[in-house]
Amino acid sequence: MASRKEGTGSGTTSSSSNTGAGGKGKGKGGSGDSAVKQVQIDGLVVLKIIKHYQEEGQGTEVVQGVLLGLVVEDRLEITNCFPFPQHTEDDAEFDEVQYQMEMMRSLRHVNIDHLHVGWYQSTYYGSFITRALLDSQFSYQHAIEESVVLIYDPIKTAQGSLSLKAYRLTPKLMEVCKEKDFSPEALKKGSITFEHMFEEVPIVIKNSHLINVLMWELEKKSAVADKHELLSLASSNHLGKTLQLLMDRVDEMSQDILKYNTYMRNMSKQQQQKHQYQQRRQQENMQRQSRGEPPLPEEDLSKLFKPLQAPARMDSLLIAGQINTYCQNIKEFTAQNLGKLFMAQALQEYNN
Amino acid sequence: MSRFFTTGSDSESESSLSGEELVAKPVGGNYGKQPLLLSEDEEDTKRVVRSAKDKRFEELTNLIRTIRNAMKIRDVTKCLEEFELLGKAYGKAKSIVDKEGVPRFYIRILADLEDYLNELWEDKEGKKKMNKNNAKALSTLRQKIRKYNRDFESHITNYKQNPEQSADEDAEKNEEDSEGSSDGDEDGVSAATFLKKKSETPSGESRKFLKKMEDEDEDSEDSEEDEEWDTGSTSSGSDSEEEEGKQTVLASRFLKKAPATEEDKKAAEKKREDKAKKKHDRKSKRLDEEEEDNEGGEWERVRGGVPLVKEKPKMFAKGTEITHAVVIKKLNEILQARGKKGTDRAAQIELLQLLVQIASENNLGEGVVIKIKFNIVASLYDYNPNLATYMKPEMWQKCLDCINELMDILFANPNIFVGENILEESENLHNVDQPLRVRGCILTLVERMDEEFTKIMQNTDPHSQEYVEHLKDEAQVCAIIERVQRYLEEKGTTEEICRVYLRRILHTYYKFDYKAHQRQLTLPEGSSKSDQDQAENEGEDSALLMERLCKYIYAKDRTDRIRTCAILCHIYHHALHSRWYQARDLMLMSHLQDNIQHADPPVQILYNRTMVQLGICAFRQGLTKDAHNALLDIQSSGRAKELLGQGLLLRSLQERNQEQEKVERRRQVPFHLHINLELLECVYLVSAMLLEIPYMAAHESDARRRMISKQFHHQLRVGERQPLLGPPESMREHVVAASKAMKMGDWKTCHSFIINEKMNGKVWDLFPEADKVRTMLVRKIQEESLRTYLFTYSSVYDSISMETLSDMFELDLPTVHSIISKMIINEELMASLDQPTQTVVMHRTEPTAQQNLALQLAEKLGSLVENNERVFDHKQGTYGGYFRDQKDGYRKK
Repeated sequence: MASRKEGTGSGTTSSSSNTGAGGKGKGKGGSGDSAVKQVQIDGLVVLKIIKHYQEEGQGTEVVQGVLLGLVVEDRLEITNCFPFPQHTEDDAEFDEVQYQMEMMRSLRHVNIDHLHVGWYQSTYYGSFITRALLDSQFSYQHAIEESVVLIYDPIKTAQGSLSLKAYRLTPKLMEVCKEKDFSPEALKKGSITFEHMFEEVPIVIKNSHLINVLMWELEKKSAVADKHELLSLASSNHLGKTLQLLMDRVDEMSQDILKYNTYMRNMSKQQQQKHQYQQRRQQENMQRQSRGEPPLPEEDLSKLFKPLQAPARMDSLLIAGQINTYCQNIKEFTAQNLGKLFMAQALQEYNN
Repeated sequence: MSRFFTTGSDSESESSLSGEELVAKPVGGNYGKQPLLLSEDEEDTKRVVRSAKDKRFEELTNLIRTIRNAMKIRDVTKCLEEFELLGKAYGKAKSIVDKEGVPRFYIRILADLEDYLNELWEDKEGKKKMNKNNAKALSTLRQKIRKYNRDFESHITNYKQNPEQSADEDAEKNEEDSEGSSDGDEDGVSAATFLKKKSETPSGESRKFLKKMEDEDEDSEDSEEDEEWDTGSTSSGSDSEEEEGKQTVLASRFLKKAPATEEDKKAAEKKREDKAKKKHDRKSKRLDEEEEDNEGGEWERVRGGVPLVKEKPKMFAKGTEITHAVVIKKLNEILQARGKKGTDRAAQIELLQLLVQIASENNLGEGVVIKIKFNIVASLYDYNPNLATYMKPEMWQKCLDCINELMDILFANPNIFVGENILEESENLHNVDQPLRVRGCILTLVERMDEEFTKIMQNTDPHSQEYVEHLKDEAQVCAIIERVQRYLEEKGTTEEICRVYLRRILHTYYKFDYKAHQRQLTLPEGSSKSDQDQAENEGEDSALLMERLCKYIYAKDRTDRIRTCAILCHIYHHALHSRWYQARDLMLMSHLQDNIQHADPPVQILYNRTMVQLGICAFRQGLTKDAHNALLDIQSSGRAKELLGQGLLLRSLQERNQEQEKVERRRQVPFHLHINLELLECVYLVSAMLLEIPYMAAHESDARRRMISKQFHHQLRVGERQPLLGPPESMREHVVAASKAMKMGDWKTCHSFIINEKMNGKVWDLFPEADKVRTMLVRKIQEESLRTYLFTYSSVYDSISMETLSDMFELDLPTVHSIISKMIINEELMASLDQPTQTVVMHRTEPTAQQNLALQLAEKLGSLVENNERVFDHKQGTYGGYFRDQKDGYRKK
């Protein structure tokens, strides 16, 4: 089943993601001097990821795993992967690093590429832009420069089109993360906006010729009936869910802004006090001067007015990014659905 | 000496003592009776005469023995306890010790104990094995004894150098002690000690008894004097600390009062040696026990109350002419003992009964008999000193009989006046010419009887046969109250009548009047009732009865409490008999809901009971909303059991102390008055379901939806949390399952969950008119299911035929029509009725789920933008205000 979908879908997905990334790729073109221009994924990896989710992930739970492969020129080839075991509460001391090393060693023994080139993660209705993802991708990219994160959306896949996307952090964001300074000024200096946090890398799914031959053979034998999901008109549930999630994010954003707002207010109040204080000081000094007394000693203003802690902006950036993805999702989804509906209407009229 | 008499007869001092003492009691009881017949027979009484020194030293040696025993078994805790006692005892014996020097055995135990403790202390292994208490005690004791022994250092070193000798000396000393004249007194014993000893000789005692014998016939009024005597003799024994100051006084007193000779003393000594020695051990042990118990406080032994009371045959001397005066005097005599410590209450009752017999035998007139009977009942009530304990069945029976007899007499003799305000002096018990006047209040007696009855019911296991037996007495109690009522209606004041009416009401309000109910049912069928039926139905309708009694109280009562109780009972009675509107109106008119929190707890319990009954009544009438409101307060707290006085909650057990618990226990309502809690909860949940499910359906997407019933929601959540949903078992599960079915508009399933075999057995059959309730319930379920269905699925329909609906919910067309019309009028359902086709045409005004979401999103985005703009404001106009106006402009837009 999955192989079939993927077999025929390989062309379409790669092309769609190509075009999707193309638009952005141009925008990033100037700054996009990253090491990886393209990700080439083996069919095996795709199947393994799907299988992993099918077996272990359900609902909001997320599955993760390690990608293995190698870098060829500006192309990252992902040739294999293995899952992280699911966490349970009782084996808290389970050593993940140890497990990864073990796994990689074992794979090397059977002659599989053992270069660590990134990781993959499933997502629930496209909500993946989180602090955790940022942190771990940062550490990956920090250690292995070519690392990517593959985001697999099982729900969209279930609707008929494979959804697999490769992301990297932009160099700008990398720098900011390295500094660990998420204050408004730092972000401003790094000119980071939510659009410039992640860059999507185009994906190509590649199979060996032997497999392609097998696909062609299978395609002839199989019936067309398996492609129903793509044409399903029942869409309200998906849309509702996305809307709900979007709403939650908007709420968070709203709160974040409120926080920032109070900060700003406090800031300006302090500024005023500072100003008044300085003025008073100046006046006094003037009086003293006229009386011939020595001026008051200079005092450290920063001690009197402790600088306020600015709220970290990273979270709101992430939320904004997430909202952006949701909006894109909704846009894409509604566009597709409208098409479908028009098609169904036409069909209806034709039949009548 | 006298001590031995007292051990038995003074039961009050012993009641607080340990169990061992109680074993000794019967023996003592003999002594207690004996003084009356007693001659100087010393063999029987086995008196022991001991000097204060003997007593103190014996106490010490006894303690020492226990310590040694404890040492042997390595019980350090016990050692510590005993050592402390020993220290105290030594302190008491100080005056003697001062005179005679520190006894060797005392030094020896101190030295031994210290050695022993040091040994234990060094023994690290052993210490480890010791349990925690012991180890703790060891260190404490070690420190204590070190400190203590510092005072005796010289003695101890002396002893340690020469342990042999001291042991011998000890033995010697014991011998000397037993001989009575101690060698230690060599350095001129004070006359006081000597005389004191003498005073304790039996001769003095016997004299006393002689005197008493003389006194006996006249009266036992000499009890005061007795006490004086006692204190005199006992204090000489026990208050050795005060001794020194008193000695001279004592000496003179004894010289005066006990002119015993030297020979007397010697003889007594001898006797003691011969005979008492055998008993000595046993007795001294007992004494010591007592002393231990009494330590730390001065104690005084009171010679058992008025021993005379126990002398049945000697009620009156033979040949005495029984007259009023004599009987009254006797009665007073007996009554004087009442309430005093050490009075045998059972005997007193018997005595009084005997007196009644005598009185009636001698035809002394009803006045006296009544007076005595009053007192019998009073002493029956007094029998239990504790408020919490309840009467024994035989006592109870006696009490009932007695009151009945009393009533008989009162009814038979209308010329007797009974009243609590008649003074003792103005009583007229025998002068037949004038109306007889007796002090006493029959109403109080009856009220007390009723309370006792409640107490008995509270303390009986409600699921036992015993309870049923007791419950049978209820009829008797009611009968008595009725008689009193009749009596007081003739003679009593309005106040008294109110009180007795309230009693009557309290015994009536909770009973469902089946007879009246039957009558009501049969009435419309025709008036062809047989005479027999007529006779059977002769009794007053309880409704009428309640009406009459309560109205009287409303009109005449001046104490608020009685009226409040009467109102509540009246409401309860109305509610119980499904007279909802009367009950509700009465409740509203009384304004009790506003100020009930100021009432005392029993009234509040009654109020809660009434509210619950009111709610159940409303439910039976199909008034779901009223039922829900009435029950909300009780049910939402989750403490229905406690609020109705039907049991204590375990949860709050830690929060209250014993005293509070006792009080609460006393407030409990007897089992036969209980309201079934499961029924209560079921009624509440079902009415909540009937309200909440349609409401939930109507406001599904409303963010500001609130809950009608928290408890119901809680049950729903519990149901949802169930990982595996089996068929419902308990009442709650049934209701939850039914709610789920109703949510889907599936009234048939809902119906089958609410009304089935199990639920019938558990709940519905408990109603007097079960079938009527069930039909009402089915109808309600149908209606509410229809509403729920329309709310939930109206968005799917363009139009729906009312006929289909009426088929679906098995309701007739007009009902469906009216329900839908009502919904449309209330703007709950966006639709209109199409009369010619009998269809409901839906107006699509309600947004779909997506649209709703989109609207909410838009709202949120609006606020987001506004917040964002405020940030922008700050950026622009940190100081200046010229942006302000513009901001307002934005908002207005």
